[in-house]
Order: sequence, then C-alpha cells, then structure tokens
Amino acid sequence: MTSRGTPSRFLQSVLQNGIGRYVCQLKRVSIIFSKNAQSSLGVREFIEEGVVDYAKKNPATVVYVSPQSCRIPKIVAEYLNGNVREEIVTSKTSPQISELLTKLTNQSGLDIIRIRKPFHTDNPSIQGQWHPFTNRPPSIGPIRPQKQDAE
Amino acid sequence: MVFLTLSCLIRSRGPDRYWKVQEVLKHARHFRGRKNRCYSLAVKAVRRAFVYATTARRLKKRYMRTLWITRIAAASREHGMKYPALMHNLTKTSVQLNRRVISDLAITEPRTFLSLAKLAQARQQEGFHAALGDGKEPSGVFSRIVLLQ
Repeated sequence: MTSRGTPSRFLQSVLQNGIGRYVCQLKRVSIIFSKNAQSSLGVREFIEEGVVDYAKKNPATVVYVSPQSCRIPKIVAEYLNGNVREEIVTSKTSPQISELLTKLTNQSGLDIIRIRKPFHTDNPSIQGQWHPFTNRPPSIGPIRPQKQDAE
Repeated sequence: MVFLTLSCLIRSRGPDRYWKVQEVLKHARHFRGRKNRCYSLAVKAVRRAFVYATTARRLKKRYMRTLWITRIAAASREHGMKYPALMHNLTKTSVQLNRRVISDLAITEPRTFLSLAKLAQARQQEGFHAALGDGKEPSGVFSRIVLLQ
C-alpha cells in the first residue's frame, strides 16, 4: 500500500454542496434480499419497520426493494456522480441496517481513497502570498542581496 | 486400451493462481522494467516498496518538521531575527502556534508573520533589559509591579 501505488485525492465537496443549499448525493438505494433465507432476517425486519420512514425522511432518494432468491442480501447505493457502492448485509440486525443507510445517505459519492490533506481552501492567502519582493523596500538601483541591519 | 501414464501426468492445480498473482502485480504496475510484469521479480520489489513505505511513515514526520523549521528560519531572517530567538520568545509570550502553522503564515500571510516577529523582538528586548538593566521600569510605563498601598 504505497502512496504512489494506491490512488489518492484531495478533500473536496461535490460542486460546493452545502454552501448554498444541501442536495443529498444519494440517488438510488436498492435493497436486494431473499424472502426466505436466514441471512436476510434483519433486512426483512428493516423492511417491515424502517424502510418507509427512511424513504419519507429522504425524499430525494429513490428506494427500490427487490426480493430475489439470493444467498447474500445487499444494499446497492448509487450516487449522483455515478459511483455505485454495494454493501453486504448478511446477518445484520435492523438497527444496524438503518445505521448503515444513514451512513450511506451522508456520504457524497466521491471515491473512498486516501485523502491527501484533511483541509482544502480555494483562497489560501489573504494578505498575498510571499514572493521575494514582499519584504524588500522598493529600490531604484540594481537588485542586490539585502544588508541585514541587526536591530 | 487404457492410457495409464498420460493420465498420471496431468494434474488439476488450484483454480485461482491468476488472482493471487494479480494481487501482487497490481501494486507493481508503476514500477520500471520487468518487475512490473514478471511475478517473481515483482514479489521482491513489492515487498521492498512496502518496507520503504512503512519506514517512511515515521521519517516523514521528521522531514516535515525540519522543512517547517527551515522555512520559519528563512522568514525570520528576513525580519532580522534568528529562528531560535523567534521560537523561544514566542513561547515566552505564550503564543502556542506550532511550526506548521507558523510556516504556513510565513508563506501565505506575510504581514501576520511580521507582527509575530515584532512581538518576539519586543519580548527579547524586555528580556535583555530585565537581565542586564537596572531593575528600573521602562520610561513611560506607569507600573508593572502592583504595589500594595
């Protein structure tokens, strides 16, 4: 896992989301589960109790519930920038699944890779970035190294 | 007729050699030469790369700190002070900025850094007067020591 060998990105938000209004970046949630398998027990409980409340609380997200005959229940989350995230929810309880869904809702769709710096500014310098003439008095003659007068 | 010898020579090996090899090669794709293609060379190179990455995590902190110190020293020399004097006097005035922040200020906010340098200079002069002077208060200051009347 070298830093050059693995992808990395800078901290950013999708189109400055949140500065004006906040748009939920989660486009679609598909819950794939089985009607009779043991591993989808928690998912079935969640669909009985929590799914409708979740869908009402997040009107911008479309929730698809698709019972299929599958061995492993999954939650597939698609984001507005096209990224698709699949979470496997075998043998998870209903509150765990709702926690997972809130986590997916709060994520933007950006890749989950190493973030180079935990901060980002578009305007890093307010007083003007330093350049070699910042602290020099204006001079007419040729540019020479400054004499350091010990104060 | 039964072919006994040929069928003994054919063995069915493991099914996922390809993926095990790709797991190693994916970390070697940006290397130079045959070690980005050939598994036996790549294994050694990838192990080396991981060892370097591990040790460098400890060393990066040292390098960054020396870089910050170099930058602060250069910036303070522009204002006529030296790095040890600046940092010591800043801690004496209880300015608890770390070296990273001070070096960023020196780069992006030169006037703020100038004010920090002047603060450190003033504290330095006060220290000199306290150590070398008469024990009298500086002229123009009403009282630094509250005298119980």
